[in-house]
Amino acid sequence: MLGKLAVRNVKRSARDYLVYVITMTFVTALMFAFNSIIFSQDIRMRVDQVGIMAALVGLATFFIVIIVAWLINYMVRFMLEKRSREFGTYLLLGMKKKEISRLYLRENMLMGAGAFGFGLLFGVLLQQILMAVLYTMIQTDYQLRLEFNGWCILTTAGCYGGCYLLALFRCKSRFKRMNICDLMSAGSKNEEIHESHERVKRWLLPVSLGFLLLFGLRLFYGGLLGGWDGGTVLAFIVGLVLTVYLFYTGLSSSIVCYIRGEGEGIYRGQNLFLLRQLSSKIKTMRFTMGTITALFMLAFLGCTVAMMFSDYQNKVLKEKFPFDVQVYSGNVEDDFQRELAVIEEEAVVKEAYPYQIYTNGTAQVNEWLYTHLREFGSMYLTPEGEPDARALEERDDGCYCEFDTYMKLSDYNHLREMLGYGMVSLRENEYAIHIKSRVLGEKGDFSEHLNVEGWEGQLKFSGYHTEPFSQDGHNGGDYVIVVSDSACELTPYYAELAVDIRGKAPEGLGDRLDDLDKKDVFSHLDWEGEEEPPGANNSCCGSDAIITYAAVNLVRDNVIPEVKYMLSSIVFPCFYIGLVFVCVALTVLSVQQLSDSAKYRFRYGVLSKMGLSRLEVAGVIRRQLIAYYLCPALFAAVIAGIIGLFVSRKFIFYTGVETEVFQYFGISFLLFSGIYLVYFLTTYVQFRQNAERGI
Amino acid sequence: MNGYIRICDVEKYYGNGANITKAVDRVSFDVDRGEFVGVMGASGSGKTTLLNMLSTIDRVTAGHIFYGDTDITELSEDGLSEFRKRNLGFVFQDYNLLDTLTIEENIVLAMTLHRKDKAEIRERCGAMMKMLGIADIGGKFPYQVSGGQKQRCACARALINQPKLLLADEPTGALDSKAAQTLLETFTRMNAELGATIFMVTHDAFSASYCSRILFLKDGKIFHELIRAGRERRVFLNEILDVLSLTGGELSDVR
Repeated sequence: MLGKLAVRNVKRSARDYLVYVITMTFVTALMFAFNSIIFSQDIRMRVDQVGIMAALVGLATFFIVIIVAWLINYMVRFMLEKRSREFGTYLLLGMKKKEISRLYLRENMLMGAGAFGFGLLFGVLLQQILMAVLYTMIQTDYQLRLEFNGWCILTTAGCYGGCYLLALFRCKSRFKRMNICDLMSAGSKNEEIHESHERVKRWLLPVSLGFLLLFGLRLFYGGLLGGWDGGTVLAFIVGLVLTVYLFYTGLSSSIVCYIRGEGEGIYRGQNLFLLRQLSSKIKTMRFTMGTITALFMLAFLGCTVAMMFSDYQNKVLKEKFPFDVQVYSGNVEDDFQRELAVIEEEAVVKEAYPYQIYTNGTAQVNEWLYTHLREFGSMYLTPEGEPDARALEERDDGCYCEFDTYMKLSDYNHLREMLGYGMVSLRENEYAIHIKSRVLGEKGDFSEHLNVEGWEGQLKFSGYHTEPFSQDGHNGGDYVIVVSDSACELTPYYAELAVDIRGKAPEGLGDRLDDLDKKDVFSHLDWEGEEEPPGANNSCCGSDAIITYAAVNLVRDNVIPEVKYMLSSIVFPCFYIGLVFVCVALTVLSVQQLSDSAKYRFRYGVLSKMGLSRLEVAGVIRRQLIAYYLCPALFAAVIAGIIGLFVSRKFIFYTGVETEVFQYFGISFLLFSGIYLVYFLTTYVQFRQNAERGI
Repeated sequence: MNGYIRICDVEKYYGNGANITKAVDRVSFDVDRGEFVGVMGASGSGKTTLLNMLSTIDRVTAGHIFYGDTDITELSEDGLSEFRKRNLGFVFQDYNLLDTLTIEENIVLAMTLHRKDKAEIRERCGAMMKMLGIADIGGKFPYQVSGGQKQRCACARALINQPKLLLADEPTGALDSKAAQTLLETFTRMNAELGATIFMVTHDAFSASYCSRILFLKDGKIFHELIRAGRERRVFLNEILDVLSLTGGELSDVR
């Protein structure tokens, strides 16, 4: 009989808390879909760096399990409170507390299992979408196929079960503390509003907003207000957490004070009702509202970060690797015969062009960049702001070679031709600089600080060129100085090979080139963990930060999917976290409102009896819901907006991706608004139906 | 004034086919301006259904209800809302106060919905609260005051817009005897001093004795009527009790 009761109760609860069940289904589907990326055999075969994705999805899952456990725990407590009268009746009928607690646990497990089952089915669909997106990213055709990996299902079940275990941990003890009288009267009790010290508490609102302003100023104009040290960072994090939670106390008290102060607004239409509804709800829910804000904020930020890396993938990656194949050798005598043999074996070579990068034994461009680019801060400056000669001499960051890098005009024009760029002409007494547009954009023209000596005195600067030119260690790091072939005395510095092949490069070509394992290249990049190679420090990788990819052998069609997969390892978990957090937060908001709409439907009946038409009551409900839903969303958007814009600015600055600073946060906001709207409309329709039963 | 509110052959049926229940069966009566009318009857006699139709909450199956020249059975949904706003006030057994608003704000809200200006709202609200003896508790929330005070707040809210008719459904049902007496005296004062027309449903003889006229309902029909006509309340109460004793409390076979 108890089994039958549990099933019927589950049916009723699933109907009453449909939003919660749908969210749990969606969370299961997401878990399954993301786990399937980790366990997919096909991806494992195609991509080397599966471990990174697994680690980051695992990390995301850890946080998701905690948040979903919080949601389940919240819902279990919430439903328990709403059904207290029913549990009181069970006690009156003679059931033991242990039996009731077991019944309730069984109901929750059944509901969870149902959501899990549907979630797996939906997860298969989501898995196909996710795989299709991922395969498109890594430039591989995806054939629709159902992949049911036992480990994947087991991991999803483990994570999902973990959420329930965490959430239901203390459920039994809650039943032990109950007594019949409290249970029977709990349902009919209204929320008691305690108003005290509101005039003092309302100051928390301007204080919170003031802190946010200070936080924003500090982020964007940190230099003006002092630097960031460990203590400051910690103080701001603690301040931010306090702000998120205390804001609502301040907001609620401010509304109460406005009402008590008999502001003009309360005498207009239904404003008094709406303001009181909002203030009392925020007051009783302030802690939950704070948590919801934090979830929204993290979702915004997760989505913003995902957008950044996704944008990088789409815009920058192709420009990073303009040549089909490019090979570096620290040995200037290298004729690349072994590499060419491998390439010719695997692909049809249209053109192979070996050339050399030169040096004149000076490092004036390197030093200027080291001492002026913001990326290096004051690493190579004395406290007085002068170049620190000692630090420059001892540097081993690998950004730039020991000496400036030069290229002869004939080589340069040949490479430009290979890339389809126009020819560049230089007189004997001229030089040009090919530089990354990001670096040039940061500091502008710096040619007046350079002194490039030719055979017949100082060379004249003719101009900058900023087309994509493989400047992460191949054609120089960040820049290369171009001179006429006989303009000055140059010594070969390192050797390069650029290859243009017909069609796409075969998979694994890069690996086979790496397998040649030529120690004589003296590459400082390939000697990680081994003894420092002999010879000049003639390898570098440029000053790109956040995303850098430097390698001796670059095969574009191999590298781009690999890098895209690595970037997807960040993009996917960020979206994963963002989606789950938004859904969890919106579910709590929605369930709260729907439950209130059932419990307090008499309020709308009273409004109707006071003469409001159905349409007007619907208007009141709409405005009430909008205010309640917008509060945490807007507040989170402001905080996440400040942080998101700051991070976006840094990202654009360090990666050189050309995007408006508002774009990443803007798109995240739109995505968020889409999900938000779905939950809002669902809640609004159900709320209206519930309220109209009271009219 | 005769015919202030006229109820003409009103019927209300529930169900369909063979399962029709006649909740109100061809009921007709008039309520004059300034009258304090009570309706008594056993459970299921149709008194609340009748009140719901008078209050526009429920629609009649047949018949007409006239407030002056307005037949409310002909009004649209929006028209009924507007009519309710302008002409009716409600007092219910469970007070139906908005729990998020203070006592004073509950009364203020009724006026803000009528788009009155601030000064008028302040003035009338203050006067009404003073009259009903709840001025001191204006800043308190409903859960902080007694049942009697809540019900007086509900009265103030119902009367603040000077409605044509105050509808009360078992207003003393949840009150102790002292609070009930205070409330009924308030009703009498509102009736006498403000000229409020009151229509009260009750099954308590003591409450009914405050009315100027009582309609007894049975199986959806009016089968008896008592008019106080200036007699002392004690005498009127005895008459009511006589009617009730004849019916054994079930109001049957009264002749």
